[in-house]
Amino acid sequence: MAKGQRKFLDLLNKRPLVLDGATGTELQKRGMPPGVCPELWCIENPGVIAGVHGDYARAGSDAVYTCTFGANRIKLDQYGAHDARSVNHRLAVIAREAVRGKALVLGDIGPTGRFIRPFGEFDFEEAVSVFKEQVEGLLEGGVDGFVIETMMDIQEARAALIAVKETCRLFTMVTMTFERDGRTLNGTDPLAALVTLQALGADAVGCNCSTGPDDMARFIGAMRPYAKVPLVAKPNAGLPRSAGGVTVYDMDSAEFALRAGDLVGAGAAILGGCCGTTPGHLRALRKAVSRKRPPAPSRKALAALSSARRALVFDPGRPLAVIGEGINPTGKKALQEELREGKTALVRQMARDQEAAGADLLDVNVGVPGIDQEKTMHDVVLTLAVATELPLVIDSAKPEPIERALRVYPGRALINSISGEKEKLERLLPVAAKYGAMFILLPLTDRGIPETAEKRAAVVRTVEREARRHGFTREDFLVDGIVMTAASNPNAPRETLRTVRWAAETLGARTVVGLSNVSFGMPERRWINASFLAMASASGLTAAIANPASEELMFVKKAADVLGGRDRDAAGWIALCAKSGGAGKRAPAAALPPEQKLREAILEGNREAVGGLIAEALKAGIDPAALAQEFMIPAIVEVGERFGRKEYFLPQLIASGETMKIGMEALEPLLKAASKEAAGRGTILVATVKGDIHDIGKNIVALMLRNYGYRVVDLGKDVASERIVREIGRHRPDAVGLSALMTTTMTRMKEVIEMARRQGQSCPFLVGGAVVTQAYADSIGASYARDGVEAVRVVERLIR
Amino acid sequence: MDRLITFERITIEPPLKAIYRRLGYRKGLTQIRPDEARTLGDGIEQARALITLKGAARRLLILSKDTRQIRLPGGHTLESAQLAALLADSREVILLGATAGPAVIEAIRRDTAENNLTRAVVFDATASEMVDAALDWMETFFGRELRREGRQLTKSRFSCGYGDLALENQKLFHELLELGRLGVELTERCILVPEKSVTAVAGIETIG
Repeated sequence: MAKGQRKFLDLLNKRPLVLDGATGTELQKRGMPPGVCPELWCIENPGVIAGVHGDYARAGSDAVYTCTFGANRIKLDQYGAHDARSVNHRLAVIAREAVRGKALVLGDIGPTGRFIRPFGEFDFEEAVSVFKEQVEGLLEGGVDGFVIETMMDIQEARAALIAVKETCRLFTMVTMTFERDGRTLNGTDPLAALVTLQALGADAVGCNCSTGPDDMARFIGAMRPYAKVPLVAKPNAGLPRSAGGVTVYDMDSAEFALRAGDLVGAGAAILGGCCGTTPGHLRALRKAVSRKRPPAPSRKALAALSSARRALVFDPGRPLAVIGEGINPTGKKALQEELREGKTALVRQMARDQEAAGADLLDVNVGVPGIDQEKTMHDVVLTLAVATELPLVIDSAKPEPIERALRVYPGRALINSISGEKEKLERLLPVAAKYGAMFILLPLTDRGIPETAEKRAAVVRTVEREARRHGFTREDFLVDGIVMTAASNPNAPRETLRTVRWAAETLGARTVVGLSNVSFGMPERRWINASFLAMASASGLTAAIANPASEELMFVKKAADVLGGRDRDAAGWIALCAKSGGAGKRAPAAALPPEQKLREAILEGNREAVGGLIAEALKAGIDPAALAQEFMIPAIVEVGERFGRKEYFLPQLIASGETMKIGMEALEPLLKAASKEAAGRGTILVATVKGDIHDIGKNIVALMLRNYGYRVVDLGKDVASERIVREIGRHRPDAVGLSALMTTTMTRMKEVIEMARRQGQSCPFLVGGAVVTQAYADSIGASYARDGVEAVRVVERLIR
Repeated sequence: MDRLITFERITIEPPLKAIYRRLGYRKGLTQIRPDEARTLGDGIEQARALITLKGAARRLLILSKDTRQIRLPGGHTLESAQLAALLADSREVILLGATAGPAVIEAIRRDTAENNLTRAVVFDATASEMVDAALDWMETFFGRELRREGRQLTKSRFSCGYGDLALENQKLFHELLELGRLGVELTERCILVPEKSVTAVAGIETIG
């Protein structure tokens, strides 16, 4: 352990470590004007910042933060300062001199204010270089450790942490800022942040700012069961509120100390204060926690992966994880072509499809001969980092693409794979260790694949020994059972299962298989794959690389989870069954006569049932016209009334409207007399005016009118005024409906009406749209309708 | 200060309450069956998968202002008495733009053509509310940064085409936010394409 880390850990063995409180608000109280660069102002007024540091040290802070939160070159540039290194150096010296050895000094690194790829445009390596400059200045100034704080973007936190770790071995904490909903502004939850950052080498992880101590206890509580490192909590003095245009924090020092002290019970071993806290708050906090025992990290090791948004923990008793195998160009011409052309649309689609099908992780392989696999892997991983919430499995036969991917992946990834081959061991173990990745341990050597489970076990032991030298534990890898083709070697599946059982039960490691290979060359492979998965699950399998789109496979997996005690209360099984069978509409009540069932189907918007119900009603001898007039039209009228009373909302109104439409289309050929009736109800011409592309409201109106028996001529959207008037002359409608969403396009309504009148057209006009009002309609000589239901009423009135 | 910041991916949860409200749901009045709620939830999730929220922002000094107009660097002027009133205490503005991307618009078009208007309106409402929530997200992001400077954003923001801020100003927003880089184009009638794209301006004030 580095000397710099020892200082902190020694303190943490005795009692919770107390940090400092707010700096910005203290500086403002002591004369810093708004709008200035705090770092530059502190260099010009060193006595003031030294006073703040000194007050916190005297209040009992074990460590104070340098006033360098915004001392990166991106922020300093905005104030015309360009030497970030010397600014950091100077402020670190001021902090050290101020505390006079009574407190440790942590070099403070805050966000740049820019989002890093894949979340923004800022280049990852440039961000690392920006932070390195800051780290070097702070080191020259003599800091004892670092804190990377108030991070909302996990990728920026990673860049800063990599910058520190590539520069020195000092103790480094990382604190993220979570909103009250339990995610950072960029969507990372506390567990995902913990898994990513502790794997990457943070010596302590936690949260600061945004919330008061009570909310923060939830975030710390979510991290605690999985923490390998001490947890940090630096809350605000309560929630901010605005009073007369000023942001204030309500919690006084006694209450803050009481609540923040409770954070020790939640799992925080390192505490401090953020916005609104003062030396008084910290003095009270120090007193409140000085006799408490600091909580020790819950884990020595953790088998878990993460994406930028969520984590997956491989704890015993968890359901078997499915690693989607789809993103692999072997045998997929379209994917090969796309990767060659540097495109990623298909990759994104495959990720979405596999996620929707129930995959827990996604394998990513870009092994197309003749392409720059390193660059392609980098680009695909960044694409997937935002296209899916699932953690990624980086799959390559070459070390370089794996290293490139791990550096930029904003989570903790799984490497597929590291074997006992000399080059793999030498090249990939250090890379995996640097970025904290888990890996699939493939028990083969330069001499090939061992045939028996015993020989594979020996390779596993050898690789594990080597991995331990790089700091890995048994929680950091999954043993691959190595699946061979059953068609060519009938004993192969048995040896795979024996390997899995040995690894799970004797070694106590996690396990994985690449499932599909077992059925190669066989007909109806899905059944063999699913059966083998069930057998492997019973042998203790943790994860399978498989096709989640296979319904057979996913049902068998979920069933195996239930039977293996890996699906508590069978919740996953029930959810799967509901998803596959429960999404349909309710079956119409069997006891009702068919015409009533038809009415119910329209009221419920049961599009699937309406065709069959019409056939049933006709078979029962009901006259088609009577069916329409006495049951269907009253039903859709009832829908409109329910919508008017707000008992129905828009999706229900439209689902009923579409059901009605399907029903009327089915009935139409039989309604000879009624068709005259329909024509007699009138023809309505509708259009969205020129320049406007928003037409969903107009489409709803058209649907409703059709359902009330009107013939609708729909000209579409962005229709020129001249064409509308021409079509009026051609169709001779009983009324014309015009829609517009924007103030600029609304004026076209007036133009159409004036043009029509000039040409002698006397038909009434109905207008509507987001910005259209009754007053505007009146001013251009048109009627107005607020929505589709009202449009029908207005049209009926106009035509009558 | 005058620097364009782009957000390649804004990751937010669909604002369910706002989506329901946009679809006409009224608590205590509207009755939804479990299968309808499930279908609606599925629709929102499908829309979410199709929506790629991107954003851009630019912070600019106000060179001068009076009760009717705000003058910005580069000879740009925003004419609006209502906006001038909102910015009465501001010395800077922040321009914001966000888009839901083209895929969800294409899905709405396809659903409408294929007689699945029910899902189309759910997609439409989800996209509208998510792009609006993206502006809220950017405001929160900048609000956090500004607090450390002793500054804050105005309580509300203003969009072109609302009140007396003419829609034609959209040209200026499109240009300054370089929305073309996010795949957003401007029609002759100053409408942003893809449809679910929005811009806004808010003021930056000193706290207290």
